[in-house]
Amino acid sequence: MSVRTETDAVAVVDTTFDDVFSLVDGWREQIERHVASAEPRVADIDDLVERLVVPDLSRDGALIIGAGFVAQPGFLRDAPWHLAWWLGHANTFGVTGPAAPELRRLVAVEDEDSESFRDYTTLEWWRVPATTHERHITGPYVDYLCTDDYTLTSTMPAFHDGRMIGVVGADLYVNDIERALLPAVRGAGRHAALVNASGRVVVASDSSRPTGSLMRRDTWGEHDRVVPCANGLTLLIDD
Amino acid sequence: MQVPAMLRSDHMPQSIRTSTSAGAVVFAPLEGAGRAELVERRLTDAIVLGLLSDGEKLPSESEMARRFGVATVTAREALESLRDKGLVDTRRGRDGGSFVTAGRDRTRRVLDARVRSLSRVELRDMGTYYAAIAGSCAALAADRSTEDDLERLRAISLVLDDDETAARRRQGSVQLEIAALSQSPRLVREELRMQAEFAPLLWLWLREPEYRRRSLDARTAVLDALAAGDADSARERTVTLVAEAIEWLLATKSDLEEQA
Repeated sequence: MSVRTETDAVAVVDTTFDDVFSLVDGWREQIERHVASAEPRVADIDDLVERLVVPDLSRDGALIIGAGFVAQPGFLRDAPWHLAWWLGHANTFGVTGPAAPELRRLVAVEDEDSESFRDYTTLEWWRVPATTHERHITGPYVDYLCTDDYTLTSTMPAFHDGRMIGVVGADLYVNDIERALLPAVRGAGRHAALVNASGRVVVASDSSRPTGSLMRRDTWGEHDRVVPCANGLTLLIDD
Repeated sequence: MQVPAMLRSDHMPQSIRTSTSAGAVVFAPLEGAGRAELVERRLTDAIVLGLLSDGEKLPSESEMARRFGVATVTAREALESLRDKGLVDTRRGRDGGSFVTAGRDRTRRVLDARVRSLSRVELRDMGTYYAAIAGSCAALAADRSTEDDLERLRAISLVLDDDETAARRRQGSVQLEIAALSQSPRLVREELRMQAEFAPLLWLWLREPEYRRRSLDARTAVLDALAAGDADSARERTVTLVAEAIEWLLATKSDLEEQA
């Protein structure tokens, strides 16, 4: 689609992230259905999540580079803390040597007594969807623990019997998002910036607005147009 | 998706639980000559820094060789040196393997020997380079941190440790977090690399309670500068802290040399 107006730009931005969230939402639905019919156990959840996310991670041209389910502490009968998370072919985290990375599981240390134990429920990708019950985009942020690169994480909560059982989500590289969205953002104007809910720049047509810099919310009113997009994103445009 | 340290073992066996992300680079591949020494150095640093803690099991020789990108015989050689230094103990049998034996006195002796072996020029240069990295991270973070980011940083930063390993680990986590707030993946990688290479020496002064207090004060000042969005002050406070730590290190080196 040729992008000529801000409306076109919003459509491209929304489609890009809606596509990611529709994958995540599909996985969420399957996980909730499984949980409704069976006692939640680690092995079954892992099998299920692997079957759900691996085909989407393996698809040619897939934007997502990591995906899975993170359990609410105490939800699974046989593990107080649990992550069922897979890393895609393009994810270079922890890869050593010249061989191309393979699709693989993120192996987690989940021992509460371990000195290295930290509560993942304090992190933004968990905390925000757990509080708002809405989908949420975390980042751009430098994810030095899991993707080793500049990342966006899309998460949404999953429920059973009205209680949250975990979050389902996917990681994207900011580089890929820039390639996917820059033409659209340019179409919205020479001084257009797509920002996240905190005002952090995701991609801007104006190279003086670097990705990762902040356009703080209390200054949004100074821009000529403030155009809300889906998924908590906003286009700030100056004529 | 940022996963806390507890979960970061994608490329590490369960026995290697690192407490800060610097652990992720402990086993990154090595380049250049003298690889056995490099392996030994990397592991020694991880042990004295507390990334590998007392009693932890190391990966097998072959696994270690694979991860460092060296020959098995090289990994074996490095382990032998560590055994000679008393930093690793190898047990046979079903529950056997190589285990970290990092007593405080032992790691202290190892560090003192390292301080003596490096020239003043080398130590100062490492400080200069690290200050450039950490200072730039802090300056960028001042412009790019949200209230939420700062709150998280305060929670890990504003704690006084009564133990040197915990203090060193905390200083590392705080520097890494500030690097992440710079939004620069390259600066983050450089921070991690420097932590693996240099942190045990740079933050050696944290063995003294007085300097654990001084570091906390400096972290508080940096946080205030970040909160005020004052990039110059954030950079300056960081550079000053590193410079003071290096001056202490050089003075300690002189003392050690006089004792010898």
